[in-house]
Amino acid sequence: MSDTDLQDQAIQVDTEKGNFKYPENYEFDAGVGLTEDTIKYISDVKDDPDWVREFRLKALEVFQKKPMPTKWADKDLENIDFDKIRYYLSKGQQPARSWDDVPDDVKETFERLGIPEQERKFLAGVEAQFDSEASYSRMKEDLEKEGVIFVGSSEGLAKYPEIFKPYFGKVIPTADNKFSALNSAAFSGGSFIYVPKGVKLKQPLQAYFRINAENFGQFERTLIIADEDSEITYMEGCTAPKFETATLHSAVVELVALKNAKIQYITVQNWSSNVFNLVTKRGMADEGAEVKWIDCNIGSRLTMKYPGVVLKGKGARGEVLSIALANDGQHQDTGAKMMHLADNTTSNIISKSISIGKGRSTYRGQVHMPKHLKNCKNNTECDALLINTNSRTDTYPAITTRGQNNTVQHEASVSKVSAEQIFYMMQRGLSEGEAMSLAVNGFVNELMKAFPMEYSVELKRLIDMEMEGSVG
Amino acid sequence: MNTTLETPTNTLSAKEPSWLAERRTAGLDQFKKLAMPTARAEEWRFASVGKLSIDNFNPVAAPSSATLDALTERSNLVSDRAGLMVYVDDAPANFECIGPELAKQGVIYLPISEAVEQHPELMEKYFLQESTELGSQKFFGLHAATVKAGAVLYVPKGVEIEKPFVNYYWTSGSRAAVFPHTLIIAEDNSKASVVDIFFSETEENEALNISVSNIHAGANAHVFRKVVQDWNEKTVSFQLDTTVADRDAQVKNVAVNIGAERARFENQTRIEGAGADVKMYSLTVAEGTQEFDQRTFQTHNAPNAVSDLLYKNALLDNSRTIFSGLIKVAEGSQQTDAYQTNRNLLLDPSADANALPGLEILANDVRCSHGATTGNVDKEELFYMMQRGIPQRVAMQLMVFGFFEEVIEKIDSEELVENLRQLIHQKFSGKIS
Amino acid sequence: MNHSLEVKNLHVSIDGQAILKGFNLTVPKGEVHALMGPNGTGKSTLAKVMAGHEDYTVESGEVLLDGVNILGQEPDEISHAGLFLAFQYPMEIPGVSIANFIRAAKQARLPEGEEINAIEYYKDLYAKMDALKMDRKFTARSLNEGFSGGEKKRCEILQMAMLDPKYCVMDETDSGLDIDALRIVSEGVNHMRSEDRAFLVITHYQRLLDYIVPDVVHVMFDGRIVHSGDKELAKELEIKGYDWVKEAFATASA
Repeated sequence: MSDTDLQDQAIQVDTEKGNFKYPENYEFDAGVGLTEDTIKYISDVKDDPDWVREFRLKALEVFQKKPMPTKWADKDLENIDFDKIRYYLSKGQQPARSWDDVPDDVKETFERLGIPEQERKFLAGVEAQFDSEASYSRMKEDLEKEGVIFVGSSEGLAKYPEIFKPYFGKVIPTADNKFSALNSAAFSGGSFIYVPKGVKLKQPLQAYFRINAENFGQFERTLIIADEDSEITYMEGCTAPKFETATLHSAVVELVALKNAKIQYITVQNWSSNVFNLVTKRGMADEGAEVKWIDCNIGSRLTMKYPGVVLKGKGARGEVLSIALANDGQHQDTGAKMMHLADNTTSNIISKSISIGKGRSTYRGQVHMPKHLKNCKNNTECDALLINTNSRTDTYPAITTRGQNNTVQHEASVSKVSAEQIFYMMQRGLSEGEAMSLAVNGFVNELMKAFPMEYSVELKRLIDMEMEGSVG
Repeated sequence: MNTTLETPTNTLSAKEPSWLAERRTAGLDQFKKLAMPTARAEEWRFASVGKLSIDNFNPVAAPSSATLDALTERSNLVSDRAGLMVYVDDAPANFECIGPELAKQGVIYLPISEAVEQHPELMEKYFLQESTELGSQKFFGLHAATVKAGAVLYVPKGVEIEKPFVNYYWTSGSRAAVFPHTLIIAEDNSKASVVDIFFSETEENEALNISVSNIHAGANAHVFRKVVQDWNEKTVSFQLDTTVADRDAQVKNVAVNIGAERARFENQTRIEGAGADVKMYSLTVAEGTQEFDQRTFQTHNAPNAVSDLLYKNALLDNSRTIFSGLIKVAEGSQQTDAYQTNRNLLLDPSADANALPGLEILANDVRCSHGATTGNVDKEELFYMMQRGIPQRVAMQLMVFGFFEEVIEKIDSEELVENLRQLIHQKFSGKIS
Repeated sequence: MNHSLEVKNLHVSIDGQAILKGFNLTVPKGEVHALMGPNGTGKSTLAKVMAGHEDYTVESGEVLLDGVNILGQEPDEISHAGLFLAFQYPMEIPGVSIANFIRAAKQARLPEGEEINAIEYYKDLYAKMDALKMDRKFTARSLNEGFSGGEKKRCEILQMAMLDPKYCVMDETDSGLDIDALRIVSEGVNHMRSEDRAFLVITHYQRLLDYIVPDVVHVMFDGRIVHSGDKELAKELEIKGYDWVKEAFATASA
């Protein structure tokens, strides 16, 4: 295979956007396509323990057997060619990356977002890696004093099997769906975190430290275990819009909140517009525990992501707060799942979506309350805002309720920014674009109050940027 | 059943026109070709399709004249009417035709067989032309192949009829399969109302119903259809109903459903003209192991139209309900107001309410919303009433019947409303405590 | 330079139907003019057209602010040029607080790169709210959402005071107001009267003019002004009613 062939086939490489180079030595490159050999190769490079090897190979079987969810999902899924994907590149084979290699539109995003210089450097290459490595190490030291484990997936499984093995693949079984199976076969990177009993982390842990410490894969695997009475907030993608040009991103994120623990997981997804983002996220909440997903989807070509909470213990609480923004050519297919499995459990879902131009946003939800339960509550609100005449929104919730004194409430609405509202604001001196942005921010405002400050600010900026050029 | 239906022998008459024979053959083909529904099909999600069987039901011979007379006698929910048809096991039992006044204005109210003979062009245009798209295409095929009983109402342009036409469809024989059909064609600026009533002779006679109703409402036509379904709990029922509304048409559907072992409803509304206004209201009271499976589809293909859906379900014992609704607003259907509300009242912890409310919106200047709530009787309200000295059982009944009223009062006919209240109270008062 | 709001021979139609038919009006700075007339005579159309609403078709004519024609400009440009329209039915903007909205409107008037001084802004805002007897907690509420009629109108006056326009067009500001609210709103307006500012008060009823005393009263009928006079004209109208206008001017304008 010649170099040019390789470039054409390796779909991580978007030739228009970046001029990445591959070294001539492919020794640590798993090549394209997914076979048993690919998986064995990944295991070899990662020096997986035997049980992990088996886990991967079984997952591969499941992946190959499972059909694509073609019945209900976006037809665009059929455009993924699994045989052309590069499943693993080891360290030596990383595309060389400098600030100059970053695509212009992404660069512009960084500039205008005011991303700190240090992060820019980090994203840009070696020099910053050093800086961030240092700060990561400092952070790690503080955490270690408290007994917090914060490592990569391979390291976690190899070094702390007694902690992570019992929960690994338990909240999201391999066979949950085709893409969780894919991840289970090919995972690399991601964060494994254990917070000991009673430890309440004041500062959120951020994903990009980990990205720095270990290559952030397209198939990252994250497992967070919060032991009894502990608290943790985890953020991914905050001020670091991911600019990888990978066309398939398929992560699995499992959260385990033991008795009275609290986990808050925050995502701002701003992939470039050629990425299929097919992610499985689920948390398990034990007695009195709380799992909260804050999920914002701005980027990608097609996102399919339905964060869920299994409310396993009495009095557990689950929450999904999400904002999706679908611009031209994008489909944000998002939602939430709440499985009530114990008495007095409560769940709350608030989803706001904005469709611009030919963008399409979809909400899919599932709320399940079986027969033997009592005093469970769910509240679901989905509001969609359509900006242009050719924007589209769909809502497909599924709600099953039985049992005693259980209540479920679902409300959805669709609205637009009216011409009269825009006229009113322009009469006060705002430009049409400013008026539109203000109205859209107003639409998500109530929900954003629940977000950490820095997220609200960034999100507002991202929305403003997306709104530009959407009127008229 | 399959054996008896291989060839549609049991049809209207030998001299059926060719277009009808073709539709029957196509229907039979569809019935044979399509598989029974599976649980994996989205259109049947949550339905217990494993328990669904239509085997060993068959069209039966006409009942004795004594039975026909007795059931005609019992067809008495609405006394003030413009016309009446009573069928028992698809055999005609009674027919009160329209008066000379209406006949002179061109109104047609006839049994299907006679309408096919006397008004072939009208029937060719409308009869069996609107199939369901919501999952029961197979059963629609069987209906088309077999239908012989039913009423056709045609109201010419500008004719307004205040009194309702009342159609009773009874089952009586052992394991009878019935295929009643109601066809309503209301031309521009006309007005009409129809009551369809589905009853069983006894609590024991097992039956299969696959009924179809089609409403065609012309420009500015006003159509009001009321449906009372009180089959016995040995009946498997499919009601495959459609409404097509033209410009400024106003159509109201109100259904009260309390019967059948398993009842599947497919109710499609298609708005084809600007300014149309279609209402779909339903009340269901489920008990025992009854399953009510409701699938609705509101399509807006024209701007400035309104559709409003309210389905209320009260669930007792081990009963189940499934509400699956979709609003689709096509591109360009601006200024649409579309609403969909499903309210489920769980009166027993074993009851099972499922809701799948859906929206597909491809126009931006719309007001669309759906809401689904499921819950028990409000404890605080109950407490409040009891604090005023009302016994719990009475308070519960007050609240549950209060829950029903929102739909019942929309029937807008004193006699029918009163009769329905009695029907429901008799059946359920003992169960609510 | 011409210091006035001037409407010259304005012809406006909507969906092919003529509404304004040769409308002429001049309101010099320092004056308050009232525009009265029966319903459906084109008063609100005039207000919206001046503010640049896109639903209306201007067949001919001009609207001059200080001698510059503003017709054809975008609504925000007209706003920046100094024309403020107090709406008959202020819009509800969910999720956008009063404080943020007015701030954004003021920010939009500053040159690129210049940021509004937040402390000064809130000081100013609170002072003006106090004057209008508006609860300061209102600043956090969504603009006009769930407001009573009186609250909405007070909010309009608050915006007017904050944006400091040269020309204020008030469209049926008295509609839906009880007498207390009317008094408060009028005080707000009277407080803003100055040599550098002109008002056009559009109203159906004379009642408002007891509180905002006009220098000139115009009577509008069938798309144009048919009669002008001093404040006594408003009282005459109140007594004789609009039928008198119709009788006196319908033939003349036909």
